[in-house]
Amino acid sequence: MVKSLKDIVRSSSIHVCLVNAGGCNGCDIEVVALMSPRYDLEQYGIYVHQNPREADVLLVTGAVAEQWKEKLQRIYAKIPEPKVVVAIGNCPLSGDVFNQEGGTVYAPVSDFIPVDAEIPGCPPRPSEILEAILSVAPGAIAARGRQKQ
Amino acid sequence: MSSVIWYLYEFARKTWAEKFAAAKTDQEIVEIPSRFRNFPEVHKEYCIACGACTAACPAPMAIKLVRSEDSAEKEGIVYPVINKRGCIRCGFCAEVCPTDPKTLTCGENHLIREEFTILPVDKMFVIDDYLCIRCKKCKDTCKVGAISQKDKKMVVDQTKCIACGECLKTCPVKGAMKKIYINNVEEQKMIMKLVVNTLESVINGEQEKIKDLEYGKVLKLDMPTGELAVRARDIISNDELITDLIEKITDRLKMRVIVWDKDKCTNCRLCVDECPSGAITYDEEKGVQRNEDKCLRCSICYQTCPFGVAGFYVARFLLDKMDKTSLDEYVIHITLKASQLPIRS
Repeated sequence: MVKSLKDIVRSSSIHVCLVNAGGCNGCDIEVVALMSPRYDLEQYGIYVHQNPREADVLLVTGAVAEQWKEKLQRIYAKIPEPKVVVAIGNCPLSGDVFNQEGGTVYAPVSDFIPVDAEIPGCPPRPSEILEAILSVAPGAIAARGRQKQ
Repeated sequence: MSSVIWYLYEFARKTWAEKFAAAKTDQEIVEIPSRFRNFPEVHKEYCIACGACTAACPAPMAIKLVRSEDSAEKEGIVYPVINKRGCIRCGFCAEVCPTDPKTLTCGENHLIREEFTILPVDKMFVIDDYLCIRCKKCKDTCKVGAISQKDKKMVVDQTKCIACGECLKTCPVKGAMKKIYINNVEEQKMIMKLVVNTLESVINGEQEKIKDLEYGKVLKLDMPTGELAVRARDIISNDELITDLIEKITDRLKMRVIVWDKDKCTNCRLCVDECPSGAITYDEEKGVQRNEDKCLRCSICYQTCPFGVAGFYVARFLLDKMDKTSLDEYVIHITLKASQLPIRS
């Protein structure tokens, strides 16, 4: 009963899937801070689902490592249309400090999947991440026929 | 039981119910605090294009020095550009920026330690107090305020110096401001040996001319640096360093040359006992022999010999750049003169 109630409440939420494609984990910690009571992600209707098949928005952190090249594309393929990708931090944008000579990162992430929003910073502030998700996601859920109340 | 009633009372309050229904994060949590170290700010007009920020930056794509386009009135200025997609907001660039006021500022409470420099300089500038005339031109030219006067002497503060070389250009006395390469010391030694040995072989090749040199006359020789440059580049391919080394050697080197005119020798053997290194030996068959490799060039044989067998000369050098720009085209002038030392009688 509770589960179905949750589903009704969350039907208008932005469902988010977080993927770390090989970084220092700093940006993921900022996303965790976003889920904490201080920033409280769910008050904006954002729900971290961790399932690409149900996600509206894919959050990508980390420079793309060797093993992630194909897995990232597979995860992207699992997301239902329309797909929205938000790159968090400098790693998916430029490779950051990992993109040294002789390194094995395959940044930027836009070489593998199309990116809709970028958040520079190492790591970005939680409020910046929130702002980016809120700027791209409502269009995506509207296109899916789920209006936000 | 009483606590449950209290909770019910608390939850039923209108203010609590309103807050619960319309929960919002406080605005001050979302705002960036004033102490937050954000992306560096660039103040173009102060930049001196030293490249310290690019060298200090740990992210490979974050910072780049660019030069604006020249206009009709003046040259374009050089300034750093921050790429926000690469910058990690560490503030190292602001820390190393040597200009005053700083070209790059980043955060307000950033630790800036005066004695610490992470500039990758390969040169060191030192003032020779013996030659310095204290005109203070270097102090006025220095862009980072590294040169100051202490106890009536001009000193370079090595922690502030960025090795730009402006002081050397303004110094009116040759040799008062010294540029020292602090890296590749072994290679520098090898180049020094190479240069000195080459000069010596050139002089040895002119033995016959030296013998005929009259007292008080000067023998002039020219040696192009082309071949020398090719061999020096095999050791270390840095033309600036090689030119600097050759110039220093030719300025300072005073080479002693001993020529041995065997025809004049009468085998009196006065020199054999005098020679401190045993370079001169006597043999029944061959007469008096001189071993060049053992010779110290102390000139004792020259002062001892009553027949003038040993000749003692002093060679000096000058690197002539002759408005040429390449190391291969310079010429080293060699002047050779008989020594003024008195001959012992």
